[in-house]
Amino acid sequence: MATLEHYLILSAILFCIGVFGLLSRRNAVGILMSIELMFNSANINFVAFSKFINPDILTGQIFSVFVIAIAAAEAAVGLAIVVLLYRNFDIVNIDKINFMKW
Amino acid sequence: MYSEGFPILSLITYLPLLGVLLILLIDKENIGTIRMVALLIAVLNFIISLPLFFLHDVSTHHFQFVEMLNWIPALGVSYYFGIDGISMLMVILTTFLTPLAIWSSFSAITERVKGYMISFLLLETGMLGVFVSLDLVLFFIFWEAMLFPMYFIIGIWGGPRRIYATVKFVLFTMAGSALMLVAILFLYFLNYYYTGVYTFNLQELGNFPIAPNIQLWLFAAFALAFAIKVPMFPFHTWLPDAHVEAPTAGSVILAAVLLKMGTYGFLRFCLPLFPHAVYEFMPAISILAIIGIIYGAMVAMVQKDVKSLVAYSSVSHLGFVMLGIFALNVQGLEGGILQMINHGISTGALFLLVGMLYERRHTRLIADFGGLSKVVPVFAVAFMIITLSSIGLPGTNGFVGEFLILLGTFKTNATYAVLAATGVILAAIYMLWMFQRVMFGEVTKEENKKLTDLNLREKLILLPLILLVFYIGFYPKPLLVRMEASVEHLLDTVNKKYRVESIEQNNQDKKITIAEIVNPEKNEGTHDE
Amino acid sequence: MNVQIDLSLLYPHLFLLIWALLIFAIDFFMTEDNRPSLGYLSIVGLIITAILSFASDKGTTFWGAFRADTFSLSFNIIFIGSAILTIASAIDFVKDRLKHHGEFYGLILLSTLGMMFLASSSDLLSLYVSLELATIALFVLVAFMKRDLKSTESGLKYLILGAASSAILVYGISLLYGLTGTLTFAGIAEQLNTSFMGGPLFILSIILIIAGLSFKLAAVPFHMWCPDVYEGAPTPVTAYLSVASKAAGLAAMIRIFFEGLHSSAAEWIPLILTISALAMVLGNVVAVRQHNIKRLLAYSSIAQIGYILVAFIAVSELATTSMILYMIVYMFANIGAFIVVITFYNRSGSDEIIAYAGLSKRSPFLAISMVIFLLSLVGIPPMAGFVGKFYLFAAAIQKGYYWIVVLGVLTSVISLYYYMMVAYQMYFKSGDDNSRIKVNPTLAVAILIALAGTLFIGVYPEPVLSAISGASVTLF
Repeated sequence: MATLEHYLILSAILFCIGVFGLLSRRNAVGILMSIELMFNSANINFVAFSKFINPDILTGQIFSVFVIAIAAAEAAVGLAIVVLLYRNFDIVNIDKINFMKW
Repeated sequence: MYSEGFPILSLITYLPLLGVLLILLIDKENIGTIRMVALLIAVLNFIISLPLFFLHDVSTHHFQFVEMLNWIPALGVSYYFGIDGISMLMVILTTFLTPLAIWSSFSAITERVKGYMISFLLLETGMLGVFVSLDLVLFFIFWEAMLFPMYFIIGIWGGPRRIYATVKFVLFTMAGSALMLVAILFLYFLNYYYTGVYTFNLQELGNFPIAPNIQLWLFAAFALAFAIKVPMFPFHTWLPDAHVEAPTAGSVILAAVLLKMGTYGFLRFCLPLFPHAVYEFMPAISILAIIGIIYGAMVAMVQKDVKSLVAYSSVSHLGFVMLGIFALNVQGLEGGILQMINHGISTGALFLLVGMLYERRHTRLIADFGGLSKVVPVFAVAFMIITLSSIGLPGTNGFVGEFLILLGTFKTNATYAVLAATGVILAAIYMLWMFQRVMFGEVTKEENKKLTDLNLREKLILLPLILLVFYIGFYPKPLLVRMEASVEHLLDTVNKKYRVESIEQNNQDKKITIAEIVNPEKNEGTHDE
Repeated sequence: MNVQIDLSLLYPHLFLLIWALLIFAIDFFMTEDNRPSLGYLSIVGLIITAILSFASDKGTTFWGAFRADTFSLSFNIIFIGSAILTIASAIDFVKDRLKHHGEFYGLILLSTLGMMFLASSSDLLSLYVSLELATIALFVLVAFMKRDLKSTESGLKYLILGAASSAILVYGISLLYGLTGTLTFAGIAEQLNTSFMGGPLFILSIILIIAGLSFKLAAVPFHMWCPDVYEGAPTPVTAYLSVASKAAGLAAMIRIFFEGLHSSAAEWIPLILTISALAMVLGNVVAVRQHNIKRLLAYSSIAQIGYILVAFIAVSELATTSMILYMIVYMFANIGAFIVVITFYNRSGSDEIIAYAGLSKRSPFLAISMVIFLLSLVGIPPMAGFVGKFYLFAAAIQKGYYWIVVLGVLTSVISLYYYMMVAYQMYFKSGDDNSRIKVNPTLAVAILIALAGTLFIGVYPEPVLSAISGASVTLF
């Protein structure tokens, strides 16, 4: 039987993988995917908390639906910019675009 | 709002702003008109300010010509103007010297005249505001607002190292006043803690005993701002740079008025607000003042440039003023205040003279001159009189001030007086030696033979200053009478509060520590009004 | 549960939404020459929205998720004001350098709409969604110059860090939800009052929320994107980012921490204190070395957030009032400075500080305006910045935080130095190009409005203060 702790640990692991990917990936699409992982780990949290703490009120589950929508919007804009970079400047790797110092 | 009759102080303070507006309307090519408008406004301001002197009620220490109105009621900031015998003299000094300084720059400033005159008039508003404000926030606003006109005056129209000088000047002053702002805010909440009133009004703020250990901190924060402005010995390094690089009129105003803001700040704020700390710091400040006197004189002696010699002599003279103030007796204080005015007149005049010389020769090095008394006799006589006044020869204004200061200091601590007296001797040496090298001997340089003597405008600028030198020298009574009531009241306040606090300090139960005051629980009540 | 929808509270928002969509739509039917008028149309829409905001009632609706009060009204005015000034400054810029006018103005309006919802949100869900509405529009705006590598690059950087910070924020929110079982600020506050809340998970959630919001504020150590994005983005967007986006982040912070988490203030005050100190020191010190005016303003804006957070730690009414006041003051000064930068860029095509040499002769108006805005940012009286900083510091001192205030005033002195260096170029140097710069009327009006705001609040802050004084009452 999976308890709340299991879900939380899973989400924490996912979140950490996402952060790691964000920091280590060089490909812009890969970075966007890592960010999706971070969003989804939060979603797991919401749904798990909703189920174990307050199963009658679906606040947490609703929140996760919103997060999915927002993550999709962010990914759409992100991919648009990546496509732009690729089409106009032939770049997909983030370390190639350092024309301004960080 | 209540004001005792006509709001003359506001008129005097903001009249220069009207001048700024007028000048903004004039085309910038029309230099002659711009100069005339600036001068007329400044002269008019002086004339309007004269009633302050003649109508001054000598019998009372209360603030006169008071204007009071709520400005930011939410914080208890008021628009509170008023003058007593001390600030009245400072106001007159400012309005008196500004037209002379503006007039003197008619020939010296030929580029970007419009900006120059605007800066100068803004500066005058700032200076006057500092002297008439009796609300701490209002005072602070004018204190800082006056910085930037000066920044531009030195930075645009100054000498070769003007950028360095002006940035240093502004950063020093800002750094000093930054901590003063923190102290003002602290005092404000402290006052609320004791009295339950939110106010920045100077007269209401001081009406409770501040714990001595807190006084030390607050005094230090205020004193740092003022000491940099004076400038006291370790904080004086901006002064020679700023003075030497500033255009003549800038140096005049800097020496004659801006430095006085520091000493005035001590008189107006530090003394009545933190009497305990004043007594505590008295030896330290007196010693720093004496170091300033002697060090300034020594350094002045070895200067090659007349202007930097005058600049260092300021350090020395202001040392005397500080010594007089911190003698904490009537003679010392009166001498200090009188010397503030004297220094304004003499050093202002010296800078004017040096500026006139520089306009003719484009050098200020002592070695480039010699024998000028033969070529430009009128100039030499004027220079002589001002030099003697700066030394403090009996019969000139400098003598009265220095004598009173030494007298006052002697009553408090004879050793200080003896040490300070060496400063008088040193002053005689460096001033007269400089005078001798510039004025006497043979005319060695070709260029010096062609020098023209003072023209009418220059004579008219110097004449009022020379008259004042003798007038104060022979008959200082009108000035002393006017400051007397205020000085006595100031001393009264300091001593009375000091006694009260000494008693309270012994009573350990009543001692309040910083920790107690800042304790958030106790302040809980402050934010639910 | 009975239906609790009072649409009248949302009239300003609905109006702005419709107006923004109209701008998108009208764009299709316009010829290229007419499109700049979309800018003026947007300004009209914003002004009407502002009037509606003033006129509409105060109250709560949508089961407590939306709350219109003085606090939200104050922030709405800040958002709308900065949007108006930004659009006014952008019209020429867009005409010369960008295509797709409709999208540009429409996205600014949508972003403003998101921020307005944000200021009114009173639970974590509406706060999060409106924050994202505001931010996603900004991602697009930053990358708006499609052919410009710098703009695209900064757009991608802003998007990656913005999305990551939003993921961090939402993870923190999920933990807080798990601990308290509720999403409304009032519910969270009640939970914290009744049961002691400590423990590593609670601290972690607070850290994550602060981290996520600090990205929006560009507070140290989450400021890395700020200089690059400011430099790369189209300058009007930078102006908007530097004020409205920060104000939005601040509004969110105040809502969450003052309304929801104030009873556990002891847990988060040290964090904010550290961020504030770091921001003031790093922002001001690094700004000294900048040679691009937009980067300089970026670092200075990081420092400004530090000053604002000085008051944040006081957690009092005075703190809220002072932060709102400062945001208004900062809006006039910072957007004003950016408008000068835009005007200068339109003419010279350069953002280098050296290029400003001799500006006082080329355009005395631009030069003196810039000086006034910069002095206001330092906090020199009689500019509004002084009143603003005075209030911020007063709030902190009231609660006994002296050292952070001392640090604040001392770092202000550093900021004076680098702002003076700009004044130095403009006034004390002379450049190669001495041709006069003519300021076109729209930009001149925008600068004059910013100047008027800066000087008026500096000399007579009372009307503004009394208008925003009610804002804090609603929070405590």
